[in-house]
Amino acid sequence: MDLRGRIVRAALGRPRVLAAVSAGATERRLAVEAELARRGWPCAAAPAEADLLVVAADPGPGTAGAGTADWVARLWEAMPAPRARVPLADAGEAAAVLDHGLAELRRRGGARHGGGHRGGHAPAPPAGSPDSPQDPDGPHAGHDSGLVDGLPLAGRADDRDGLRLDRLHLPLGPALPDWPAGLVLRVALQGDVVQRAAVEADPPGPGRLPFWNEPWLRAAAGERVARGEAARRLCAAHLDSLGRFFAVTGWPDLAARARYARDRALGGAGAAELSALVRPLTRRARGSRTLRWLTAGVGVLPAGRARSLGVAGDAHGRMLGWLDAVARAASACDDGAPLAADPAVGPRGPVHGPVPASRALLDALPGLLEGAEFACARIVVASLDPDLDELARAPLPGAAHG
Amino acid sequence: MAEHPPSWAVFALPVLLAAVALVTAGADALLAAGARAGPARSPREAAARAAAPARGVLRELVRQPRRTRAADVALVRVGAALLPVAAMLAGVVLPLGFRSVSDLPEGVVWYNAMEALAWAAVWLAGWGPNSALSLIGGYRFLAQGLAYEVPHMLAITTAALGAESLRVGGVVDAQSGLWFAVWMPAAFGIHLLSALAMAFWGPFDRPAGRDVAGGAAAELSGVDRILLLGGRWLLLVVAAAMSVPLFLGGGHGPLLPGWAWTVVKTAAVLAFLLWARRRVPALRMERWTEAAWVVLTPLAVVQALVVAVVVLHR
Repeated sequence: MDLRGRIVRAALGRPRVLAAVSAGATERRLAVEAELARRGWPCAAAPAEADLLVVAADPGPGTAGAGTADWVARLWEAMPAPRARVPLADAGEAAAVLDHGLAELRRRGGARHGGGHRGGHAPAPPAGSPDSPQDPDGPHAGHDSGLVDGLPLAGRADDRDGLRLDRLHLPLGPALPDWPAGLVLRVALQGDVVQRAAVEADPPGPGRLPFWNEPWLRAAAGERVARGEAARRLCAAHLDSLGRFFAVTGWPDLAARARYARDRALGGAGAAELSALVRPLTRRARGSRTLRWLTAGVGVLPAGRARSLGVAGDAHGRMLGWLDAVARAASACDDGAPLAADPAVGPRGPVHGPVPASRALLDALPGLLEGAEFACARIVVASLDPDLDELARAPLPGAAHG
Repeated sequence: MAEHPPSWAVFALPVLLAAVALVTAGADALLAAGARAGPARSPREAAARAAAPARGVLRELVRQPRRTRAADVALVRVGAALLPVAAMLAGVVLPLGFRSVSDLPEGVVWYNAMEALAWAAVWLAGWGPNSALSLIGGYRFLAQGLAYEVPHMLAITTAALGAESLRVGGVVDAQSGLWFAVWMPAAFGIHLLSALAMAFWGPFDRPAGRDVAGGAAAELSGVDRILLLGGRWLLLVVAAAMSVPLFLGGGHGPLLPGWAWTVVKTAAVLAFLLWARRRVPALRMERWTEAAWVVLTPLAVVQALVVAVVVLHR
């Protein structure tokens, strides 16, 4: 093989993978993340650094289906060549799909260098992530009605201190790293302060059980589910949330450890191994005064509201709540006794409440985000970590339960 | 004690700094992979993990540079290229043992001036792509600069004051007995913190944080990305290495030759920083600035005052 081919081969040997995940695809996301970690392939934070796009997105119901295709297409357009894109339809195929993606990427990388072809520049900004500086639908205060390259200039509005500053309208999500799948926040930003936020939740396609609630839903349908299985799922769900929380607060080491423990929990590790993985994590997160100083008092909910949501008052408290639940669940995941159908309380709250627990969490978001600095806004979202899979209330086949 | 360096040193410096940066990044990647996927099962796997940054450089070299809509490409290019250049220029006054490429009479000021170019570099790279998240990364670095720069300048001034010389070689000579880190610990600590902050790395990585999808680097690919992110590692290496002549006695030490002591001490400082970053979450400027101005700045002033009094009565 010639030298250039070898360089391309070595360079693309472990591609950076961006996963486009819609609501309802949690199991596939977890499978991809676990497989990437096993192979040592990095996860991309933005399309600019991605080589391989793994699409785990269902066409949503009705018009939202077109929306899904749209944001995935914009992510794809924003990726520089050489690039490859593979769909993932089933969690079990993650390894095969990544292999296929790698082969495709190498083929394209080789072709590009062999032929000396140089593609055009990424023309359009991707949805939600990095560059859509302007939301064309958003109201623009002020009267700066210029266009630059077809994009409107930022309008102006009063900021929280009464200064007139540029205001950007942009969507956050659905493709931000460490972000709940399917969530789009339409925000008005001044500098890096969120002025207003509106939640737009893309519900998952029909027919998929919310992955994190599965054991309780199945038990409610009359199936025999071991308590240990539910504990394992709960443990993994909270570790997943903790992974996002630590990643967003900028503690990649703890995020990586939480995700490793999560993958082991879902991979069938025993209670002893899980507890041994979880213990140092809990100790470090609890013991960190810096983390307390940085996250206490962020995203404060009034006591009554917090109680009705079943979460603690601020971001730090919510993290402590997850840590407690994870430690308890880790030690209980070998329990073979059958899970009682009632009360069915999943990771986010009651599984059969009149309103999905995550819907209530989403409703709490806009109020908490107003006036928050961007990093705080990310922490607020991560500390509530709504699971949009819950928004599909697909009835179980054969279940009379409602 | 300063001797003139051979002329090839000018060319050796960038190569050496880049090599140290690559090794440091490799060690960091090894630690990160260990946390995510458990300990490496074979030496081969460990080597593959440590090679991740080198592979990343190759990867960006075969990739197409990318441009966002209505981007100011010139600003992005200048910003990205400025960072490694600033780090290399700052490295000119770094002594290996007792020789540096150029032991300028006001080397300490030169180091500070070059390192301050990072402000412009990150801001330009953040502003240029016309992207909200990248812009937030740029804002964040300016806020970070406001928090770290004043204590940082006071800390390096303190070292120069203790040596009564702005020449880095002079500062090293003044530590043939007692290291400055011993009798000006606050200045040393502040210098290490600001080394992290100026390289926007570790607990100060928010300008390129994952929560803003890479911040100032969010839209970069190809060579621009290598320059900005590589420049960041270079800046970290130079700032960490600078704490050796300023506070840790430079090439002074028993038995080993001067250059070996410099290497050992620099490696120790970098290892400490790599370890420390895994122990703490990232500091948000919205909270840290208060600590920097209310605690660190007065502390640095008091430290400088103490050193000034000692020097006057020597």
